[in-house]
Amino acid sequence: MNCETCHLNELELEPREIKDVLRCILHTIFFHRTLTLVRPKDVDCERFQITYVQCGLPDLEKEVDEKINQFIAWAEKHPNRRSQVCLSFFDEKNKHPGWFSNKTERIYWEQWFINLHVISPKGHGKQHSSKAQTNITGEASEQASSRHDALGSLIQEVLFQIINYANEKKDHIPPISDRIFNHEISIPR
Amino acid sequence: MSGMSDSGAGGRAGAELMAEQFHLKVLHAVLAVRAPRPLAAAQAAAASASFRRRDRWFHLPLHDPPPPPEAELLEAPPPGEPLVVDIHLAPAGSGGAGGEVVERWTVACEPWPDAAASAAGEGMAVNRAYKRCITLLRSVYSTLRLLPAYRVFRLLCANQSYNYEMGYRVGSFAVPFSRAEEAAMRSHRFLPVETQPGRLVVSVQYLSSLTAFNLEISSLSPSMLITNYVGSPAAEPMRAFPASLTEATGSAFPQSYQQQRPHSWAPPALWPQPPMQQMRFSPPPLHYASPTPSPPTFSGGYLRSPLRGESAPVTIPGERRSPVHRQNMLDPIKGLMLPPPSPRRGEKGAAGSQESPSEISRSFGRAEGLRMVDPYGSSSPGSKVKDSKDESGRFSALSSCDSPRQDDLDDADYPFAVDDVDPPFSRPGSSDGKEAGDQAGSSSHKSQDAAVGSLVHLLRTARPLRDSSYSSQTAGVESSEVASASSVMSRRTSDALEELQSFKAIRERLLSGSRAKERESPEKP
Repeated sequence: MNCETCHLNELELEPREIKDVLRCILHTIFFHRTLTLVRPKDVDCERFQITYVQCGLPDLEKEVDEKINQFIAWAEKHPNRRSQVCLSFFDEKNKHPGWFSNKTERIYWEQWFINLHVISPKGHGKQHSSKAQTNITGEASEQASSRHDALGSLIQEVLFQIINYANEKKDHIPPISDRIFNHEISIPR
Repeated sequence: MSGMSDSGAGGRAGAELMAEQFHLKVLHAVLAVRAPRPLAAAQAAAASASFRRRDRWFHLPLHDPPPPPEAELLEAPPPGEPLVVDIHLAPAGSGGAGGEVVERWTVACEPWPDAAASAAGEGMAVNRAYKRCITLLRSVYSTLRLLPAYRVFRLLCANQSYNYEMGYRVGSFAVPFSRAEEAAMRSHRFLPVETQPGRLVVSVQYLSSLTAFNLEISSLSPSMLITNYVGSPAAEPMRAFPASLTEATGSAFPQSYQQQRPHSWAPPALWPQPPMQQMRFSPPPLHYASPTPSPPTFSGGYLRSPLRGESAPVTIPGERRSPVHRQNMLDPIKGLMLPPPSPRRGEKGAAGSQESPSEISRSFGRAEGLRMVDPYGSSSPGSKVKDSKDESGRFSALSSCDSPRQDDLDDADYPFAVDDVDPPFSRPGSSDGKEAGDQAGSSSHKSQDAAVGSLVHLLRTARPLRDSSYSSQTAGVESSEVASASSVMSRRTSDALEELQSFKAIRERLLSGSRAKERESPEKP
């Protein structure tokens, strides 16, 4: 079975935005790939004024948040770097089927690569002049606002990218089971 | 559903059933987030309820929010006919007239074009098609929340006092867009799902920007009317206005309202298209009433949707105490004893009798700004935003539009009808005219206005020349009426003479008082 891959558009964001961005993206992917009975839950992302949908599965939410926190910790140690968070769906099969063999292998059938560029927020400089400080603060806040607005638009583009891809590539999805597909969220090390 | 048979007639029937349910599911999903209504109660009920069997179709129960109740009455279109759902915005209270379609969802099962394709379709496994339908519906569900109309839906759910209403039309036919409309709309067609009867296709046309609809809150809802405003009969007329309220009207709109401006929300190019405009909200001017909705019915043609807007129109009073009332106080001919205007918000030392429109709009805008909750303002991870602020009258920003005259008449009973005036005379028509004269004499130190006011009060409280109490005594007895008519006449005359004498005394006192004042005035610096 071929593994379908989808590389999402890169997003440039600050550390404080990581949680909201990754929640939006990961949950949207899960919502499209969790074909069991779900209890859809609308979640408002206040920061970017986006409403995305979760599956309403508490365990999944907990898992996603844990992985996001791990990524945030990694990003703090590796500032200003491009990175990827990968969400993979796989099947597990016995590697050597037999009575005494427990080895299983993962056969990935889909991978989503979330490309992020975490940047440190721009400092306010070392200016000692109060007037210069005020000017720089004003310009910085304008830049931050426009950057924030642009990021919101880019996030929506990424969400639509997920919607498009999820609909275009459906043949490789395994049969529906009574639980969500096996998956793993990989973060850089 | 997941175990539908793929074989033979059972497969065909299953596929047709699936196609029918697919149409309904899309319809319900669209209406759930495009038919504004108070959602809190519906969501609470739906969240706690278990899913019905039919809700489990495509493993996507619509519970948060659930579709409007009238959606249950809608039936799927006949096989071969498309389902078209138009979402439109119309001025509030217009009943849909003058509305503009902002979104059009079309669901259709396109028959196979030829026999070969049909034969290929017949081999389509129902389970496989069902799985694809699940994914397609997930996409429709997500897309519904990313399009511009969703934002309007949330706003209208939170506050139904906007100047626009969102409604829907369901049918199997839709009026084609004009060229201009077509040019303004974006469109997207989801990847079809192949089934035995045909290909299930979902497409959407939408306006990428709703800035042309200047959504504004038109007025306070009835629940926000304050009856115990300062100056009302229910309140103390002379209660000082709280300083906190006067200080709080510094800015036109609070920060929360500012944050609601969706300048960062502009929907991106859904599918590669030019950048979209942004929605803009501005202060509220007016409120439009709207009719009570009626449930729609599906009859193959256009179906009118309920246009919701359940709050009654409320006119904001432009003024409470107009200068004409002060004039009436000076003019005894008017016969009204009117109190001075109560202190108004925004007045700073001025004895203004009128609240300026800017004061009104600012205080109103502030109230509405805080009421107009940002749909994203109170969310927390994993929780749905619920707006309950529109249910409480939170601000005493404005008063009702009671007639000022009535208030003034009521206030006339209070002992401070005018500035620096003594309590009104108890019975100016009493037999003791000297008491009246003494009281009038004590008013020599009052202003001339106060003196005239007291005179007017006397006139008002004086016994009428034709006392109804006397006539009531003789009512129904003609002979006794005639017999006592002369005595009544003489008594009335004596009363009138007494009053005239007392008035003369008052007049003398007033004149002497004014002369004394005139003598004193040159001595003042």
